[in-house]
Amino acid sequence: MTIRDKIKVLYIDDEQNNLVGFKATFRFDYTIFIASDVQQAYTYLKANPDICIVLCDQRMPEITGSKFFEEMREEYPEPVRMLITGYADIESVIEAVNKGHIFRYIKKPWTDADVRSAIEEGKKYYISNSLLAAKNKELQSAYDELGKFTYSVTHDLRGPLLSVIGAIDLARDMDDLPEIRSLLNMMDDAVKKLDEFIRNTHEYYNLKRGKIVSEDIDFNRIIADTTSIFKISGRMENVKFTANVMQNGSFYSDETSIKIILNNLLSNAFKFQRKNISDKFVDLNIKVENGIAEILVRDNGIGIHESHIDNIFTMFYRATSETPGSGFGLYNVKDAINRLNGNIKVQSTFNEGTLFIVSIPGMANGTK
Amino acid sequence: MAQNKKSNFIVIDDSKLDCFIAEKVIKNTGLSEAITSYVNAIEALEVIRENIAPGELHTIILVDIQMPIMNGFQFVEAFEELPDEVKTNYSIYVISSSINDRDLNRVNTYASVKQFLNKPLNSNTLCALLQK
Repeated sequence: MTIRDKIKVLYIDDEQNNLVGFKATFRFDYTIFIASDVQQAYTYLKANPDICIVLCDQRMPEITGSKFFEEMREEYPEPVRMLITGYADIESVIEAVNKGHIFRYIKKPWTDADVRSAIEEGKKYYISNSLLAAKNKELQSAYDELGKFTYSVTHDLRGPLLSVIGAIDLARDMDDLPEIRSLLNMMDDAVKKLDEFIRNTHEYYNLKRGKIVSEDIDFNRIIADTTSIFKISGRMENVKFTANVMQNGSFYSDETSIKIILNNLLSNAFKFQRKNISDKFVDLNIKVENGIAEILVRDNGIGIHESHIDNIFTMFYRATSETPGSGFGLYNVKDAINRLNGNIKVQSTFNEGTLFIVSIPGMANGTK
Repeated sequence: MAQNKKSNFIVIDDSKLDCFIAEKVIKNTGLSEAITSYVNAIEALEVIRENIAPGELHTIILVDIQMPIMNGFQFVEAFEELPDEVKTNYSIYVISSSINDRDLNRVNTYASVKQFLNKPLNSNTLCALLQK
């Protein structure tokens, strides 16, 4: 909500004339709900969780305004509460302040200006409170992720290191050269896994903390960059790779995010291949049309079992023990796609292959 | 267990290198018969479940904690559900790189887990527990 939005105001009073007068006066500036009793007020509060201000008369037949606020606060703590009373009843005002935590006390008969200024102040208070609540929520989720992260770091960083220490220890007593070589290969994998984890962590923080920049995206160049790294690392060996790019016109987006998406999806496609088949393939199709980029990554690899498919985008989730992974890659992909307001779908059959379909709307040229 | 009696071994770890290290270290003690490694705990559990005939040799299981699909805790919990005549043939040791207190405390809550071992496995630790 911003300061310009038309906010919702609920007014409760047992005198019908007051309700009608109130609505007539303020309906142009605010969305007004009027209730002649508490039941009706609760119905409105339930149906409109975004009611921002509640004004209530103190003297009503079934319940006092301050008592109502005291009760309402338990279930609906967010709306800003204001008590209206015609009686110089200092006790009830004190009670309303202490127990009902009211924001303002308005004297009856009220003037338009009094009410208006109270509502405007209340609105500011409500907005800053909800901003604070949103920030708190953000902080909590960052904190939860940090907890998960710290836990996994002991495993994902320490695991490969301890493996290598163990292997070094073994190698000291080995005389058989081929055996030592095969041990070296395994150590190499462990160290690469460690490196992959560190790179993924770096990507994660780029995504979380980095600004989104609108750049002219040349998909052909990004693919060439990405695949050249795969070629060096030998990951594309024995896998037939085809890339098709149909790009009509410019496409603006955040290059860092696009690279993270392509790099992880392709890297997974090359990594999770079935070892025993000869016609391994990875197909990449990119089509840019009407300002939307559609990216299809298809492979005939090991596929994802049905029972895992809902969890593949979860941080640190791994669906297989056959091939090492950090459980970080697809989480980063999803995060990057969310940042670009895009979406990702997956179709997969276990032991047949997987297809990822990503759709990303282009950004305006040069906006930040 | 008598000092010179041999045991079978089952190693469960999603890291192939760690399986290899464990196999080597176990072999070097000279106190092993068959050693089988599994990167997937479910497969190991299936084999244990189906192998009800009590063998002559006791089997020692070394299981990692953090693994995809079925982790070490889930494995131990599933193992504890097995019939007693199966369980009695096995001793479980949890081996992990974890230094997380919650993990270490949790290991102690399982009756079937004999001991927690730190990675990497080395022959001194293994010999010590085999001679117990």
